Amino acid sequence: MKKGLNTGLIAFAILTYLTLIGLPTRLAGAAQPVLALLLALFIFAALRSQAKEMGRGALLQGGLVAGLMAGLLLVVEIGYFNWLLGDGVKIQPIFDKVVPLNMAALLNVRAGTILNGEVSIVAYAILTAYLGLAGLLGSLLVLFGHSSVAGAVQGARIPGGRWLTILLPFALFAFIYYLGLDGVNTFGNNKNIVRLLLVLVATGAGLFALAAAKEGLEKLIVGALLAAVLLSLPFVLNQFQNSVMNIVFIFVMMGLGLNIVVGYAGLLDLGYVAFFAIGAYVYAFVAAPFSSPYISALLTGMGISPASPLLGYWSAIPLAMITAAIGGVLLGIPVLRLRGDYLAIVTLGFGEIIRLFMLNLGDLTNGPRGLLQIAQPTLFGISPASLTTHLDAQGWIFLLAIFGSVLVAFVAIRLNDSRLGRAWVAMREDEDVAQATGIHLVQTKLLAFAIGATFAGLAGQLYAARQINIFPENFTLFVSIDALALIIVGGMGSIPGVVLGALALKGLPEVLRGVDEYRIVTFAVLLIVMMIVRPEGILPSARRRRELHSAEVATPIEDEKMGKKLEGGRA
Amino acid sequence: MAALLEAKGVTKVFGGLTAVDSVDLVIERGSIASLIGPNGAGKTTFFNCMTGLYRPEKGSIRFDGHSLVGQRSDQIIALGIARTYQNIRLFKGMSVLENVLVGQHVRMKATPLGAVLRTPSQRAEERQAREFALELLEFVGLGGEEETLSTNLPYGDQRLLEIARAIGSRPQLLLLDEPAAGMNPRETERMIDLVHRLRDEKGITVFLIEHDMKVVMNISENITVLDYGKKIAEGKPAQVRANPRVVEAYLGPGVLLDTSGGTEKKIANDE
Repeated sequence: MKKGLNTGLIAFAILTYLTLIGLPTRLAGAAQPVLALLLALFIFAALRSQAKEMGRGALLQGGLVAGLMAGLLLVVEIGYFNWLLGDGVKIQPIFDKVVPLNMAALLNVRAGTILNGEVSIVAYAILTAYLGLAGLLGSLLVLFGHSSVAGAVQGARIPGGRWLTILLPFALFAFIYYLGLDGVNTFGNNKNIVRLLLVLVATGAGLFALAAAKEGLEKLIVGALLAAVLLSLPFVLNQFQNSVMNIVFIFVMMGLGLNIVVGYAGLLDLGYVAFFAIGAYVYAFVAAPFSSPYISALLTGMGISPASPLLGYWSAIPLAMITAAIGGVLLGIPVLRLRGDYLAIVTLGFGEIIRLFMLNLGDLTNGPRGLLQIAQPTLFGISPASLTTHLDAQGWIFLLAIFGSVLVAFVAIRLNDSRLGRAWVAMREDEDVAQATGIHLVQTKLLAFAIGATFAGLAGQLYAARQINIFPENFTLFVSIDALALIIVGGMGSIPGVVLGALALKGLPEVLRGVDEYRIVTFAVLLIVMMIVRPEGILPSARRRRELHSAEVATPIEDEKMGKKLEGGRA
Repeated sequence: MAALLEAKGVTKVFGGLTAVDSVDLVIERGSIASLIGPNGAGKTTFFNCMTGLYRPEKGSIRFDGHSLVGQRSDQIIALGIARTYQNIRLFKGMSVLENVLVGQHVRMKATPLGAVLRTPSQRAEERQAREFALELLEFVGLGGEEETLSTNLPYGDQRLLEIARAIGSRPQLLLLDEPAAGMNPRETERMIDLVHRLRDEKGITVFLIEHDMKVVMNISENITVLDYGKKIAEGKPAQVRANPRVVEAYLGPGVLLDTSGGTEKKIANDE
């Protein structure tokens, strides 16, 4: 009973969240069944662990109580919202998705009824009944489907599950291609958003497929096929989907860089956006026709027309990288002796300082008016987007972001598996002993900052090209938080984890635009849940998993040994 | 035998406490020497002064022609002094093999660029480091454990791994801080054997802090005794054992009234 009430409370919080981000509007007519199904799955997940302790009756009762609890609370809540809406109170400035359309979808009535305050009690009762039944369904799932469902989720446990995991992304990609064909109208108005969601899910599934593939030829084939599919995406997606995917992969580049600083070297850097901004601004300085009063005057003075870009995208890369690396070292030097929280605070300040420079050094950076019309990357002087109708400007940036991510991942993998990578981890584990083992702390730390910054600079340059116009407000603290959150969610120190984290934290909010308004709340809750349920991240590095689960790993081995001993004794 | 390490008047002060008080000490090349003394006598502090974790206020430490005072600990290990710790300090999140590879850090030369490009010299170096690490693990008796997470090793094995990590840096002098602490008699035997083999097979001079008198008397060729930061005795095990000041430091002044033979046994047994 108590367990049921608790579960109901949490379920209510989740339903409230889903309502506030405007999910019912998106789902329209299907809102009630879909939310009920989600609730059933949640209750299944929450009660699953209790299955053995609770009796059959208690379990069913718990599920029903949880469902009704969530339903009643939700009904009271939206009843209150509806009352406010009916009275003409505008609550959008705070809860921007609490609009008649959203409420109506949730209650399965017409929007007009809400505005007029004519919602019948029956509509509320139906919603409550729906959610109560969902709770019952959840507990039934625990009773009957426990072993088989859990088996299916685990994938590897059922025969052929591994192949299912490997083939899933390809099936999804095939469906994505199909949706892109002319004349296909599945999902109607939602087609584009569903297709984007599928691209995100399929890319994520690809990572799991890669992890499931056996070392050697199999992994090579799966990897090559996935790479081919990924590289074809910019050509088949539309402008919007490409623009979401390219920001995802720009954040992959950034995440991989931050992963070196935080994941490998254990230096908590909250001002990472600074290097991203440096990369973007350096490129803007050399590639925007009118970059800033000062630079334009300087160029005119030297007899160069400020109207044409000084450097192309490719020739500006070394400049952006080197400048960012210098920034990394400059930040690194004063914080060499700081650890943990202190380091986090100082780097946080550094990130803000760079942004305030951009904002207030108007003569140099054009201040809040930003740097405009930044030149697009070209290939041997021509823009690939102009060659074929299949590739738009955003797709071309997406393609570059994929290449950039692969390059950065390659460097990160090689470094991790080297003398320097081991030195970083040793430093993270115990700084004094690392030094006494011969690791030059200053050099090793500065290398981590500089290499991390270089990757961010590269990402920043591509970001500037993507945005065309950049402003100081593009480089707030939240960029750092996004980058940090994605590596924590994905799995600290893990490269596939970074990709997965970027897909989840930068991609999914685009599918559900409402999430953006509650980004900070969402991240906070997500991080807390992650810390409790899976502290090593979704796709952790082998090292991290061993670390956080060393006790659990050790036990079965001991058991095995004991078993053998016992058997030996009997024989 | 020539002196490998020579300390003169080493003094380390923490606030008003003089933890190490003008200690002179000589370690002969190729010897096994010990540093003993009651708790809080300044033994570990002296180790920390030798390895650059602390900077002594006064005095000089010369090792193999180099002055150690003012050097950073990573420079000192490069000169050839490696150490282990009283409270085991392994890199917990790393595997056994990785710990020994980090130990070799100072003897490796690969640059980050070399690692990214996987140059032939970097690959060769990595391969040699791996082989050497496996050889060292075999040497200390941890063969076959290379993929284990270091925290998952049993306590005694963690001490062995610390030694393997230390000798990964190919030191001339190895400082062991209570290598046999917390070990059962069988493990202690193994440790004594290992210390002998370190000197005889690897040619490493060993200087150790130890409380287990059986170990100290068994393996040391020379013993230095500290009490309240001051050196109160040094010499061969038999000489130190007979020294009344040592007995007093360990057991208090009253015990001296007892017959000397009985007290000697008492030290050996109690410790």
